[in-house]
Amino acid sequence: MISLEQYIVVSSLLFAIGFFGVLFRKNTLVIYMCLELMLNAANLALIAFSRYHGGMGGNLFVFFTITVAAAEVAVGLAIIVALFRKRQTVEVEELNELKN
Amino acid sequence: MGSELYAYALLAFPFLSATAIAFLFRRNGLVASGISVAAAALILATALHIIFRLENFEFNVHWIELGSFSVSFGFLINDLAKLMLFVVAFVGFLVHVFSLGYMKDDPNKARFFGGLSIFMFSMLGLVMASSLVTLFVFWELVGFSSYMLIGFYLGKPSAAAASKKAFIVNRVGDFGFLIGIIMVFSMFGTFNLTSLSEIFSGDASLLQTASVTAIGLFLFCGTVGKSGQLPLHVWLPDAMEGPTPVSALIHAATMVAAGVFLLCRTGFLMTVDALTVIVWVGVLTALVSGFTAIAQRDIKKILAYSTVSQLGYMVAAFGLGSLVALSGSGSHEHAIVTGGVAAAMFHLTTHAFFKALLFLGSGSIIHACHHEQDIFKMGGLAKKMPITFWTFTLALLALIGTPFITAGFYSKDAILALAYQQDKVAFSALVFGAVLTAFYMTRLWKIAFLGSPKSEGADHAHENGLVMTIPLILLSIGSIMGGFVWFYPEALRPIILIGEHLAHGENHTTVALFGGAAWAIGLVVAWILYGAGAKEDRLERTAKPFHTLFAQKFYFDHLYDWYVAKIQQRIALTLHFIEQIVLSGLIVRGMAGIAGLMGIGLRSLHVGNIHTYVYWFIGGLVLFWVLAVGIF
Repeated sequence: MISLEQYIVVSSLLFAIGFFGVLFRKNTLVIYMCLELMLNAANLALIAFSRYHGGMGGNLFVFFTITVAAAEVAVGLAIIVALFRKRQTVEVEELNELKN
Repeated sequence: MGSELYAYALLAFPFLSATAIAFLFRRNGLVASGISVAAAALILATALHIIFRLENFEFNVHWIELGSFSVSFGFLINDLAKLMLFVVAFVGFLVHVFSLGYMKDDPNKARFFGGLSIFMFSMLGLVMASSLVTLFVFWELVGFSSYMLIGFYLGKPSAAAASKKAFIVNRVGDFGFLIGIIMVFSMFGTFNLTSLSEIFSGDASLLQTASVTAIGLFLFCGTVGKSGQLPLHVWLPDAMEGPTPVSALIHAATMVAAGVFLLCRTGFLMTVDALTVIVWVGVLTALVSGFTAIAQRDIKKILAYSTVSQLGYMVAAFGLGSLVALSGSGSHEHAIVTGGVAAAMFHLTTHAFFKALLFLGSGSIIHACHHEQDIFKMGGLAKKMPITFWTFTLALLALIGTPFITAGFYSKDAILALAYQQDKVAFSALVFGAVLTAFYMTRLWKIAFLGSPKSEGADHAHENGLVMTIPLILLSIGSIMGGFVWFYPEALRPIILIGEHLAHGENHTTVALFGGAAWAIGLVVAWILYGAGAKEDRLERTAKPFHTLFAQKFYFDHLYDWYVAKIQQRIALTLHFIEQIVLSGLIVRGMAGIAGLMGIGLRSLHVGNIHTYVYWFIGGLVLFWVLAVGIF
């Protein structure tokens, strides 16, 4: 039997990977994947809590998150594709038009 | 049909005419002059209808309402307004006709006639106004039309300066007038002239209070500005830069008399103290401008100073007569028409006739002499321009008060009779003023009309056409007959009759003797002093210091120039400095500076790097967490 703690540890690890990915990676697409990773880390934690708690509230939240994330991915990827078409790059260092 | 429709029509004709000229016929002088003269004719017809066919009436509609504050727009047609309407409509129509000839070749004829129409609109509104606010609005409008017409000759810097001067000097007077109006409202809660007069007739003790004196004097400020009384008379002679018909209509017959009309309208609230001030301002004005007129060379300037002086007579007449009524025999109840109002309006009416005639006559001369205005360059015009000469002479005889046969004699007699009754010092000053009037007018007449021509323009002068001479003839009839009550139709008589009674009062013989003596002395002295068609001013040689003083107009302009340049300008510079440093520098720029600094500071946070923003985001989260947990 896998204990709640183990789930939480995995979830925290996933979240940390995602978080540091967002912080340190330069490719927008990778940053985007890391964002998704953080969402799924949260989903995992929610489901684990829901299971050990015995209620369905956590599962409900996860469904919401997945739906919203799906919509978000559709929009976000479209933006990244459009951005690449226009600038021929998706590196965040080079996307600093507003600064200048 | 309501009487007010005619009053509205009276305003509509000139307004529509002015609007049509401004928007449709600005380049078409012929059509514009036709419209304007037609409007003047309609005004005359409507005004005559109001005067003869309609009873006195008052009509008010609500105009502005703000809580308990309400202003109404309306007409108050009483005997006083009817007489003034008659003067404005009659003289206005004749001047319009005269202008057809005078402005015939002017390229900007349309603008001129448009200006005349807007003036007629404002002046008629002023005469009919039933409340102080409406009166003030139209009062400013006549000031505006006067400004526009003085500066008619755009190419002349002196005309531009004169129009500016007229406007600014009038503002000074109007400021006082406005304060007076506000005080009236704050004390009595109404602007309506009839209600105010009822308040005052209901409570005689009001006339003892100092605040009412202040109101009277503040309202009088408006008169001082508009009617060219000392010390704000300086604009009126300069206003002669405008076309001569304008001088005749606006700056001799009607607008400048509006100040006297205002006094008569508000006569019920004048206290003894206010009236005393009014009397002496009038008397001083009459004397000072009389002296100034002696040494002027420009025919229009002489007439202008003469106008100022006669306005002084009217103002003094109003003051003296009202003083007589206040201190008087006890038989006086608060009638609308006191002796002062009657004498002032009587003189105003006759003066409108003969002074408009004098100006139109001088316009005829100037037109014929190719815009020569210096009387020492004229001479010998009597033979060349007979109609102008004779009508001018009749008007001149009326102005100097030729006994028994002219209007000016009777109206001046009424004023002198009041002065004799009330104040012997004012009486002697006014008699002396009459001597001056006779003196300077005889001087003008002898130098300009007799002898031989002294300039090319005067040599080639010839009589003008009928359009210009017929108004002269009509006005000359008024100048002679205007002194007799039977000359006036029934509807205009009430006020004239009282004026006439004054002239035939108890001291009739004495006053008439003094008036006649003044006339004779002035005439004879001037006749001896000046040769026919003289080339130079003999007074200048014989009494140099006095002549200089008079020719420099008692240095009023110098004094004002000095005041504006040395005192007002310095104060203005100081204020400007303070404004620049404190207001503009510290407060306005300072606030902007703080905002700017904050902007610079905050901008440095914007590095344009998503990673940095993520750190900020984390920082924000940490802050929220700290706050939520309650560590702080």
